[in-house]
Amino acid sequence: MTPIELLTSRYSYIVFVALVGIGLYGVINSSNLVKKVIGLNIFQVGIFLFFIASGYVNDAAPPLIEKGTGTGTETAYASPLPHVLILTAIVVGVSLTAVALALIIRVYNAYGSLDEDVIREVQLND
Amino acid sequence: MSTIISLKPLLAVILPAIGIGGIVLSRRYPNIREGPTIVTAVSTVGVIASLLPAVLSGNVYITNLGTFVPGVAFTLRADALGTLFALLASFLWVITSFYSIGYMRGLDEHAQTRYFASFAGSVSAAIGVAFASNLIILYIFYELLTVATYPLVTHDESDAARAAGRKYLAYTFGGGVAVLAGIVLVFWSTGTVAFTPGGIASLASIDPLIARGAFALLAGGFGVKAALIPVHSWLPDAMVAPTPVSGLLHAVAVVKSGVFGISRLVFDVYGPETVAALGVGVPLAAIAAVTIVIASIIALRQDNLKRRLAYSTISQLSYITLGLGLFSPEALIGGLLHIPAHAFMKLTLFFCAGAIHVETHTDNISKMAGIGRRMPLTMSAFAIASVGMAGLPLVAGFVSKWYLLIGSVDAGYPIFAIVLLSSGILNIAYFWPIVYQAFFQTAVETDAKPVIEFSLGGQWRPIRTDGHGHGREYGDEHTEETESESESDGDDTADIATTGDGNANGQPDDTDAESSQQEPKIPDGPSDPNAETTYAVDVYPSDHTTTSTADTERSARKTTANNRDETANPNATMNTGEDNTSIETASRSSSSTDASPSTHASDTPLTDTPESKTETEHSPNASINRDDTQTLRDDPDLGISDGDDETLKTEENNDDMHVSDPAWERRTVRTESTWFMLAPIVIAVTGAVVLGVIPQQAVFLSLIEQVVTAATGVVI
Amino acid sequence: MTDALPLLVVVPLFAALFPVALGYLWNDAGWATAAITAVVHLGLAGVVAQQVLTGGQFSYAVGGFQPPIGIELVADSVTAVLVILISSITILIVGYTRRVGPHQNAFYSELLLLTAGVSGVVITGDLFNLYVFLEITGLATYALVAANRSPAAALASVKYLLVGTIGASLYLLGVGYLYVATGTLNMADLATQLPAVGYDTPLVVTGFILLMTGLAIKTALFPVHTWQPNAYAKSPHSVTAYIAALVSTAAAYAIFRIIYTVFTPSFASVVPLALDVLAWVAAVSIIVGSVLAVVQSDLKRMLAYSSVAQFGLIIAGIAVMNQIALTGSVVHLVGHAVMKAGLFVAVGGLASVAGGQTIDDMIGLGRRAPIVSLGFATLAFALVGVPPAIGFAGKWQIVLGAVSAGHWAVGVVAVVSTMLTLAYFLRVVERLYFRSPSSVDEQTSDMSMNMTTDGGDTLVASSITTTTRIIVTLSAISAIGLGLAASDLITILEPAVEVYF
Repeated sequence: MTPIELLTSRYSYIVFVALVGIGLYGVINSSNLVKKVIGLNIFQVGIFLFFIASGYVNDAAPPLIEKGTGTGTETAYASPLPHVLILTAIVVGVSLTAVALALIIRVYNAYGSLDEDVIREVQLND
Repeated sequence: MSTIISLKPLLAVILPAIGIGGIVLSRRYPNIREGPTIVTAVSTVGVIASLLPAVLSGNVYITNLGTFVPGVAFTLRADALGTLFALLASFLWVITSFYSIGYMRGLDEHAQTRYFASFAGSVSAAIGVAFASNLIILYIFYELLTVATYPLVTHDESDAARAAGRKYLAYTFGGGVAVLAGIVLVFWSTGTVAFTPGGIASLASIDPLIARGAFALLAGGFGVKAALIPVHSWLPDAMVAPTPVSGLLHAVAVVKSGVFGISRLVFDVYGPETVAALGVGVPLAAIAAVTIVIASIIALRQDNLKRRLAYSTISQLSYITLGLGLFSPEALIGGLLHIPAHAFMKLTLFFCAGAIHVETHTDNISKMAGIGRRMPLTMSAFAIASVGMAGLPLVAGFVSKWYLLIGSVDAGYPIFAIVLLSSGILNIAYFWPIVYQAFFQTAVETDAKPVIEFSLGGQWRPIRTDGHGHGREYGDEHTEETESESESDGDDTADIATTGDGNANGQPDDTDAESSQQEPKIPDGPSDPNAETTYAVDVYPSDHTTTSTADTERSARKTTANNRDETANPNATMNTGEDNTSIETASRSSSSTDASPSTHASDTPLTDTPESKTETEHSPNASINRDDTQTLRDDPDLGISDGDDETLKTEENNDDMHVSDPAWERRTVRTESTWFMLAPIVIAVTGAVVLGVIPQQAVFLSLIEQVVTAATGVVI
Repeated sequence: MTDALPLLVVVPLFAALFPVALGYLWNDAGWATAAITAVVHLGLAGVVAQQVLTGGQFSYAVGGFQPPIGIELVADSVTAVLVILISSITILIVGYTRRVGPHQNAFYSELLLLTAGVSGVVITGDLFNLYVFLEITGLATYALVAANRSPAAALASVKYLLVGTIGASLYLLGVGYLYVATGTLNMADLATQLPAVGYDTPLVVTGFILLMTGLAIKTALFPVHTWQPNAYAKSPHSVTAYIAALVSTAAAYAIFRIIYTVFTPSFASVVPLALDVLAWVAAVSIIVGSVLAVVQSDLKRMLAYSSVAQFGLIIAGIAVMNQIALTGSVVHLVGHAVMKAGLFVAVGGLASVAGGQTIDDMIGLGRRAPIVSLGFATLAFALVGVPPAIGFAGKWQIVLGAVSAGHWAVGVVAVVSTMLTLAYFLRVVERLYFRSPSSVDEQTSDMSMNMTTDGGDTLVASSITTTTRIIVTLSAISAIGLGLAASDLITILEPAVEVYF
């Protein structure tokens, strides 16, 4: 399909790739530790977006069935599974960020800087 | 031919390992510590000897220990070939243990627990190699042998020892890697690695490329330990180890396990027919032939006795490989028979070298002129063993060589017979000078040694000896003689630079440098790459001191006088029968820095003691003394008045490092060395002679005939 | 009882609460809880193993929800062996930390969490569940690496966290791709669904690549191994021993599961390039890891690079798609865990005597610490591949399998790896035994930096505890014993492995 069609219909995936790229770039390229963690989060968000976007079904109803209606009245339901997966993944991401930040605080207290290059200098001078 | 299930093969392997425990437990009690070694050695020989009767009648002992990896059984099997090697290793271990005791005590070596424990471990692994029933088990014990012998090579913990140890491990593990690759190929292509008499049948029918490749890998891997060229160079460097190690391990256990691996390869993995059919036997024999010749030529250039013996080992081991590569029953017998024959002879030679080192601290052949007088039994044994190495009758080497000669002609390659014969000549060339000079020469009259020192084509100028066995070119004589003249007036301060080697005692790292007037020490020959400094065995203080007071006095003298030659008081009766050539004395006196008579006087008390040895005397009566010493030498029983008789009888030895040309004092068999060292020498040389005179009765030949008959179907 | 399977995860997870909670009442709560839990864990592992050995593979549906909708836990003999391994190592390390290691209660909580995570990785039968357990493992590891309070360790942990999370996220993305392709997350179900989608569709192949890349980061293969040397070198000795033995092992197990249970050897026949690339990467890992190990001066960094090489060997055995090699890989996985744990504990002991953990600090320690040095030397030679220790058995199988499968290069590299491993271990053994301290110039060993690795306890060079000696001796004996019993181990593993061929 043409690029324009790609952009209009599958934009989520383009954004997903962009986010993953930006996130990775942040992790690799920035020298500030906190920025690395931010990049990591962006990277993870991109992945979450992929899951959610791929779980989207056109014209589907939320997966809620009223009591008593059996298997429901709608023709299409969106699957809740990707969302569940992502919820788990978000929790994981949050806890990772928490741990990372705690460690960074300790690093900052010892070396006085958040910049990786500065820290390396300080370590060499030790 | 039946199979006997028995624990004896396992017992034979385990006993030395148990010995390790005993040795480690008794590490704090040096006198008790030797006990476990001797006990386990004797019991191991006993166990293996008990296997003999059944094995000789064609049975095989098996101990089955389950499966090791799928497809490979962990079985120990004692068949004729394995029993041959195991018997050899364990029997020689007994005598080497006694020798080790004498050697280590004689040198007061460190880390003896580690030494004896590693020794026991090595023998255990060697017996495991002998009794392995398939290539994987062989590989297991092969690697364990490497690990167990490494601490022995690095025993001295000097830089040279560590470097030798690293080289040793690199080479032997590399060989192990090649063996493993070969085993994988064999297992993958045939599904089994078990030793099958006559060879694994399917190897004859698989793709010849794979079969040849596997053979090359296996032979090459085993060839590292079997010291084939070009993977032989770990062996001369491993001579930095203590001499019992060099003897038992690097002449008997380790290198023979490499050769044993090749023999298993030829007999029980491929089978002699397949080897011939694939055409891999002759290239193996060719490499062996090349090794024989090249190693012998290199041996001619070695001045260090142990290195010469190492190259001789490399050369002789290839006799075995040569025999194994040729498809002829006689050649196979000859090759296999050379395993015990060479073991006994080489062990004798190494024991002699070690005894010489312990007793006189001499390691270089050029210093050994006349040493037959000091160590008659040792050098006689050396002579007998050398005769055998050359392949002359009545000693073991002849029998195996005879078979090899017949076999190589029989196999259709008379070129190998020529190689063997010329190797015999080369053997004589590098052993005969040692023996001859030991008995029939003295330091004064010795020829230049080693034999090949200058360019191979010879020199156009006549060569003379400078008195310590080194060649010196014509034209230097003149200055020496003038010195001896000026010497005669006893002017110690005559500062004549001489070209003579002032401190002939080749001690490179000693006060030589301090005697600036002396000529820079001539290294062991202009072309000798083996300067003494490379050997740790020579630079340990313990090498130069002995337990007697003489040494402390000598060293005290050294420090006070700061030069090697003690100026002897003209009245001092020190002529202890040591030697010296006028030339040396001259130079030495010139080098003495303090010429005042007072110094002499101060030196006198030291030199007066009957036990001391003077290095050289260059007293005013030097010439007179010289005559005395000459007469003394000629007539050992004629003692000069004082102190001489005592010194002649003292058990102190002559420290080679201090004298330019020791005239060895005459010792009898009883006073030559300790019985710990002499008895093993006697036993080893007796074994060599027995194997040479009555090979049939000595069990080895019967075992070998059995192996070859089973393999080739031809009854010899 | 099949309930033992989830209990393997639940018990440590639940027990992880206690050290911190009880810690307010009682200082020693941490160690006691960990010890009890480890023993209980071993019991559960024994039950599971016994059930597998007698009854064959079994599974457990979590929450009663049947697969493929529900999460399934599966135990086959590979799982059984690994679970026993995990329990044993946990007991050993908990015993070790009693005297030596960090003593904070939080440390023990994290250790138990790690146990839960690793057990979970090994028993799960669901791809996303695997991700969750991988992340639990990772989190616990990041915290543990920094357990000694030193800033260098914290920095190493941050780096590890960043790289590890990227790896796990890539893994998650791979799971997503496969989910998009088939709609199921259950491993066994995927194996039937994926052929229907087509093994060579870009979606499936990309999913495979993402999964493998993510797991390769977790296993620390070259070139994504860079987190490992620092993390191992800066963490406390007990932590290094534990994570070296188990964390990469779990990730390598995950690779094995995914390649064989999810993708099956049919994938390899349709898309051979994927597995070949993996095999090549693994082979390069072997070489590069060993070469880098030779130039290290810090002992723990050297062992970390050694792990890179050894895991390269294991993954190579997995990637050649041959039953013999696969068995060898699992055997080597188990053996390597035992040997590495022993080696790191020995390094901890030697470092405490020497006051530093560089290679030159080891000079002459053969005399001062004879038992631990001997254990180190034995384990070193076992890892080199001297038979009959376990290092040889695994390597033999891998080489044989590689050659049978036609992967000659892998076979040659695996065989040559013996020499490479020897190169870096020989340096240490030589310094332990064959050099005396007086013969070396006084070198500045980085004492100030290295002293902080001992879990925040007293920093003086102390003597070796008996526990260290016992653990090192035990692991050396196990290495040799496992090697002698290698064929039995292989027989146990056979049923699980041969279903794939």
